[in-house]
Parts: sequence; structure tokens; C-alpha cells
Amino acid sequence: MKITDILTFYDKILIIFVVLLALALLVIPFYYFASESDAELLLKVQLDNELIKTVPVADSYEKPIVFEVEGLIGTHIIEVNQGRVRVLEAPADDPLKICEKTGWIDREGPIIVCVPNSLSLWLESTDSDIDGMSW
Amino acid sequence: MKKTRKIVVISLLISLGLVLHLVESFFPLTAVVPGAKLGLANIVSLIAISLFGFPAAFQVVIFRVILGSLLAGTFMTINFYLSFSGGILSFLLMYLAYYFLKDYLSLIGISIIGAVAHNTAQITAAYLIISNLGIFYYLPFLILLALPTGFGVGLVSYFTLKHLPFSITGGNF
Repeated sequence: MKITDILTFYDKILIIFVVLLALALLVIPFYYFASESDAELLLKVQLDNELIKTVPVADSYEKPIVFEVEGLIGTHIIEVNQGRVRVLEAPADDPLKICEKTGWIDREGPIIVCVPNSLSLWLESTDSDIDGMSW
Repeated sequence: MKKTRKIVVISLLISLGLVLHLVESFFPLTAVVPGAKLGLANIVSLIAISLFGFPAAFQVVIFRVILGSLLAGTFMTINFYLSFSGGILSFLLMYLAYYFLKDYLSLIGISIIGAVAHNTAQITAAYLIISNLGIFYYLPFLILLALPTGFGVGLVSYFTLKHLPFSITGGNF
């Protein structure tokens, strides 16, 4: 039996529609985050709807910056190293540890989130007029 | 189908869903896109929708989500609400698609609708919790990934239903 016997005409239309939808949504971040390579990046840390910390990423080239953020379900250890940011250690009570598995982020756009702790980390260039709340 | 037999099949589907939920965690898709997963448990929802229609299939989904979170120890935590919102919305959309568009869409199309709905619901629920719009950055990637996973899930459900014995399907499929 071939796959074309199962797929209907409308299935194919649906697949094409979903691909187009995803590509259209994909254009938005590329449009907003047209990279300016010499722009200074700032790390923003938001916990429970409040911006609790701003770290200039440029400071991390000499030696790594490691700090802790305490949330509802435990403490995150966050590492800034060579212009990149990651969650070094998620709280033990975080069942999925998605923030830790996200790995490094090094540009505007990607975001590290820990939903159970309501924590989010992202990079923002200093000369950009948009921020995490407005796009 | 006899009532007892129906109860047995529903219970089997719930336990199958729980096992698939567990198997799913062995595939670290979340390293590719944060929050992504295969959605294997959707196989069970699709089969339940095709075999029983709304009330029984709804039971299968609800009990799978609740029992799954009890086993994982996340009942009534934020993770529970995330999987609950995704599970319910994708189930409802798949049911509506099956009910109204059965003649146009195969199980593959219905499964893709479910996968996309699941991702959209979870990202929206996560946004409501962390209130940072930046999280929608991952939505297009999740939707793109939902295509192959939804396709596979639909295909598996199709062949499973095809090979189920008459005593279970009752000739409905």
C-alpha cells in the first residue's frame, strides 16, 4: 500500500497550509532580529513578571559570570560565558528541565524559559527599541 | 459493542496511552526545539475518537493526562496544567475535525491538526504563566516539527485501526 492511497487531497492542502503558516510566522523573528553584529548585547532576566537583572554580556569575555536566581520551585544557576548564556543547573524539582536542555543562546531571538518557575532569560541589543514585552 | 467490552477497551487505551507517554520521554526532542515532543499518546486519542466518538474518547484523554501526571508526580503543578491545556485543545479540535471533515481528511490530516493545536495551546499556556511574548519565537519551529510527528502518529493510528480485530472495532472502521 502506498502513502498516496491514504493521504487525501485535502490532507495535502492542510500540510501545505501548515508549512506556509509556519514559514510566515518564521519571517517575523527574522524581520525583527536583523542582526547588527557590533551591537552590545544585554542579558535580561525576568522572574514572575518582573525584570530582576540585566547583565552586559560583554563582561563575560574575560571570565565567566555565574549567578543564581531563586524562584518558586528552586534555584537556577545561570552562566554567562564568552558572550553566550545558558542555565547551568535547573532546580531539582523541575520535572522536564527544559531550560537546562535549551543549552546556549548567543543572539537576539531565542529565549530560555522555565515555565514552572516563571523564569525567562533573553538577550537584547542595547540599541534596539523593542524589548521582550513589545514584540 | 457490549458494555463490558467497551469498558475493557477504554481501559486498555488509557494504559496504552500512559505507556506511550513514558516511551516518549526517551526521545529527547526537547533538545532540538524546547518543549517539543513526539506526541505518541495522540495515537490512543485518535483510535478512541474513531472507535467510540466523543464521551468515551474524552474519558480516555482526561484519564491519561491525570494518571500520567500522578505517575510523574506533577499533579496540580504547572506542568500538569500545561499538558492538560494541550491535551484538551488538541483532543477537541481532532474530534471536531473527525466529526465534520471525516470525508475530506484522513487520520493523518486530523492528527496534524491535533499536533499543531497541542503546540499552540501549550505555548499560549506557557505565555500566560511567564508573561513573556518572546516564548512565541519557538512556535513556528514547533509547528514545523508537528508536521512529521503528526504525520507519523496519524499513520500509526491508521494501520492500528486497520489491523484491529472485528471484536474490538465492531465493524466501525
